[in-house]
Amino acid sequence: MNIKLPKFLYTNQFGLLCLVIIFALFFTFVTEGFSSRFNLYALSRVASIDIMIGLAMMVVILTGGLNLSLGAVGVSTAMFGGWCMESLSIPIIPSIFLILLAGSFLGWINGYVTVKTGVHSFIVTLATMSIYFGLMTVLTKAQSFKNLPDAFTDIGSMKIFYRYVSPLLLFSFFIGCVLYYLFRFTDIGRKLIAAGANPSAAELSGISVNRMFIYCHMLSGILAAIAGIMVTMRIGAAIPSIAGHLGFDWLLPAFLATVLGGTLLSGGKVTVFGTILGALLVTLITNGLLLLDVGIFWVRFFLGVILLGTVLIDKARAYFTEKNIVVS
Amino acid sequence: MNSEYCLEINNSNKTFPGVKALDNANFKLKKGSIHALVGENGAGKSTLIKILTGVYKPDSGEIIINDEKINLNSPNDAILKGISVVHQERNLIGRFSVGENLMLNNLPKNSLNLIDYNEVFKQSKKWLDILDLDISPETIVSDLTVAKMQLCEIAKALSMESKILLLDEPTSSISPQDANNLFKLLKKIVSKEGVSVVFVSHKLEEVFQICDYVTVLRDGKNACESEKIETLDRKQLVKLMIGREEQVVKSKKLFENNNNKILELENINTYLGHKSINLSLYKGEILGLYGLVGAGRTELAKSIVGIEKIISGNLKLNSKSIKIHSAKEALEKYKIGYISEDRKKEGLILMHNVLDNTGITVWSQLKRFFNFLNDSTIGKKVTPYIQKLEVKTPSNYQLVSNLSGGNQQKISVAKWLAAGTDILFIDEPTVGIDVKTKGYLHELIIDLSKSGTSIVLISSDMPEMISLADRIIVMKNFIIKGEKNNDHNYQSMSSSIMEFIHD
Amino acid sequence: MNKIFSNLFKKDWFGLLIVVIFGALIISVLKPAFVSSFNLYVLMSSISLMLIVAMSQMIIIAIGQMNLSVGAIGGLVAISFAGLMEVYDMPIFIAASIGIVIGVSAGFFNGYITAKTGISAFIITLATLYVFKGINLGITEAQPFYKIPDAIRVFGNGKIIGPIPYLIIIPLIVTFVMWILMTKTIIGRYMLAYGNSIQSSELMGISSTQIVITAHVISGLLAGIAGMLVVCRLSLGTPNIGDAWLLPSFAAPVIGGAILAGGKVDVLATALAVVIVAIISQSLVIFKVDPFFVQIFLGFMILFAVLINRYREYQEENKKKIFVHE
Repeated sequence: MNIKLPKFLYTNQFGLLCLVIIFALFFTFVTEGFSSRFNLYALSRVASIDIMIGLAMMVVILTGGLNLSLGAVGVSTAMFGGWCMESLSIPIIPSIFLILLAGSFLGWINGYVTVKTGVHSFIVTLATMSIYFGLMTVLTKAQSFKNLPDAFTDIGSMKIFYRYVSPLLLFSFFIGCVLYYLFRFTDIGRKLIAAGANPSAAELSGISVNRMFIYCHMLSGILAAIAGIMVTMRIGAAIPSIAGHLGFDWLLPAFLATVLGGTLLSGGKVTVFGTILGALLVTLITNGLLLLDVGIFWVRFFLGVILLGTVLIDKARAYFTEKNIVVS
Repeated sequence: MNSEYCLEINNSNKTFPGVKALDNANFKLKKGSIHALVGENGAGKSTLIKILTGVYKPDSGEIIINDEKINLNSPNDAILKGISVVHQERNLIGRFSVGENLMLNNLPKNSLNLIDYNEVFKQSKKWLDILDLDISPETIVSDLTVAKMQLCEIAKALSMESKILLLDEPTSSISPQDANNLFKLLKKIVSKEGVSVVFVSHKLEEVFQICDYVTVLRDGKNACESEKIETLDRKQLVKLMIGREEQVVKSKKLFENNNNKILELENINTYLGHKSINLSLYKGEILGLYGLVGAGRTELAKSIVGIEKIISGNLKLNSKSIKIHSAKEALEKYKIGYISEDRKKEGLILMHNVLDNTGITVWSQLKRFFNFLNDSTIGKKVTPYIQKLEVKTPSNYQLVSNLSGGNQQKISVAKWLAAGTDILFIDEPTVGIDVKTKGYLHELIIDLSKSGTSIVLISSDMPEMISLADRIIVMKNFIIKGEKNNDHNYQSMSSSIMEFIHD
Repeated sequence: MNKIFSNLFKKDWFGLLIVVIFGALIISVLKPAFVSSFNLYVLMSSISLMLIVAMSQMIIIAIGQMNLSVGAIGGLVAISFAGLMEVYDMPIFIAASIGIVIGVSAGFFNGYITAKTGISAFIITLATLYVFKGINLGITEAQPFYKIPDAIRVFGNGKIIGPIPYLIIIPLIVTFVMWILMTKTIIGRYMLAYGNSIQSSELMGISSTQIVITAHVISGLLAGIAGMLVVCRLSLGTPNIGDAWLLPSFAAPVIGGAILAGGKVDVLATALAVVIVAIISQSLVIFKVDPFFVQIFLGFMILFAVLINRYREYQEENKKKIFVHE
């Protein structure tokens, strides 16, 4: 291929990268404390979680569906893990493994019900969101696990790179790389994308679409569980309110990250890098606005406006590039 | 100025991504006439009809209705300008009653401004009676047969009492008797009430039976315009439609039966409604499945490859009984593939590129350690096939949606070639494809069968069928009506096939 | 006689009516406290509130879309209503009218963007959910408005006679109007036609833009009315009004036989579904079951209801398939 400028410069992701840098610079100059060690460290911890939940939503949006239950899955698996570590005294590594297993199980339920009944995953996860959260509340009697093993919570407060960054952020990047590898360099990743892009064509071409969709939901559950683990590490305890009522609090950043990142809501296209950038942008803007004393209450309004603006711009862009040749 | 034409469309152009559907096309409808609009699939008839009914806007050109230049921006505009239409696909509201559907554009109201359903049923009954339809207006549309639905839509179009009536394949699903009733009625309203009719149909017998004029479209252009029907015979009409003599590719040798049955269906009944299907496919042959729309051929193919269910009977591969549960199993275990008739929805992933589309059937084969699979591995395997098919694309990374129809179809075939199947179902391979690609694909199909692939060819294109198939099976209403070895003689084969269908 | 029964069973609301009657009977036998005047009053109050919320979602389901912002609109209107009365001393009637205007505007905003851009209503209302909620929180800063005129208090808590609350008047009127709308008005039938098949309805000349905007305006209006009714009941305008509406707003229409793809809703069945859900929630309280079980229960009910509806659609499809080949 003989191209003058690197293809990358034309992509959505590059635009996002620019935005991230621009906003970072903006907030550094306009606020006090944005670029302080303390703030950047806190930012890195929040970003690591936003990235995970963005990725968790992305893999289900790939199928053309939605996972409204990711907050509920995150908090349920975190509480389950807390119970394992504190009440059952299971060591950290096996506990983490059990948490991930629980996440994939809850994701499996979402996927299985969706494909077997043909009901849209929006409704299925709307229902399971309540079921998972409700069950968790009932089983744990809404109590927290505050005595988690030190080694576990220490990771949450570890600082690296001259105390600017949390290792959790690096771990999120690592997961991002794993997902990138999955979708770009494995046959199963390609099958997942094909299944999401055009289920009938994929099925006729020899792909088991139902199975692929179930895998996507399971993956989403695992990623949500990882996010739950990270929050628990950060707080130092497993509490039932980490994702808000029914897990609602995670939905806005999850959606924003995915949509900003350029993943198509109709399915069939994923961009790991885009979602990560989208999550970074969301975290940055939220943090920056708070530092600007905008007030936590108006931040949500702004994020909603950004979401609205993004989908409108995206649609406008699709409309105007319809006649031009677009290379993927 | 009182021109003799109630409807004119002049110099109409319409381009869609990858294809120019109409190229300076003209159509003039004389008042009080029945005017046929004919052409092959993909010639532009549907596009023209959609422009006349406000569904599409032409890129350029004018529409004149009753001497007035008009812009039609929506179907409602067309309705308001006095154009009624019965489209090719069914467009009734399934959950509503027949009466409500018929009267939907002007529902009668009572004194409270609420819908007066008694009036709805009373008024709609009138129009059902005109077509001799024995349907109660209270019947829910989804309870009707497709034939009755089409007749209801015709009744609805008539009820609008418009002076311009567009009928797009109006007899595709109805019985010959109902068709005759319809023709009698059309002749009546044309002569008594000055209605003008645009009649689109593939059935040339009908065109000769009732139409006064004919306009032929070919590749988006006018092959002829407003010709008096008496001046043409069938052969000439067909020549205008396809641009050459209706010929048969004589280069095909007669098939030497080797008695090697690769696939057998014994008494197959399917979930979709097939009954007692018995057929055999021999190795290396091209078996044609001919039938009209709705015969059940696509559904049979889909049932065999595992997309739809077979409920009883025996499926045998190389004399061994098998059961196929999914297309994945059909491909990977039994090396059977299906090229869909609907390449945009089922054959291709339009938003993905050439490489991803062509490789989809072979990803499982090509993966290595830890499922590793990169673009160059796939490229090595599939590029030869893309090149062999002479697909015109700047690179393997071109989005399939940006290719022309013909090249898209080639990709949908290429992926199955790459898969290397033993048996291939090919469903309507050349619908809406330009003549050159059509010829190319025909050669390809013949080559494939010569190299050992056994092919089941589904086609509604009689000349195509008679050129390519070694044996032809005729289907109607989900059962097999007849079977004949093909001697490639168009006259005798086409009449035998027609006999099977119309008995 | 058999024919009458089998025809009745086909109607969505009949089965639900049986469930309501039998359910109520069984519970009353097990726990007589259920039929106490006080309990029935509480039951009817909660039905009043949820009935309008259900209608607000139902009309959007009818056109084959979803409105995720019903709770946010309700909450915004609620705090505006309460706030105008507390902060600006506005008379009830004016404050309520402004509340209605806010609800209608929010609905119009949703409908207009959805209709004009072609982006799915789901996405648009997901974004506006946060926008409206954000405005709500921005204004209230998470603090409720306390000073509510006495008339409101009386309306929200008073009874007409016996256990029947004043509160139920408006929802009953709304339900009746919705029933007329969906079964006997042109705009209502056009909405259902659109929900059945966008293509067919457009070809018949129905304006999609008009349909979508109208449906969303009605949805916003109803959400706003529901919000104001909650203020009457609570005698407070708290910013979290509407937070828990999303799931029940879907549950009721779906249990009432609605198809999420659009084109099929039943007003009476939806109303009965609201009654069933309310009865069950009440009973859980009476039986001293952990209230969180209500959430779990609602989740299962919604899945169950969607499954049954799909199964019935499936049966209809099959009947058609066999019929067609003749």
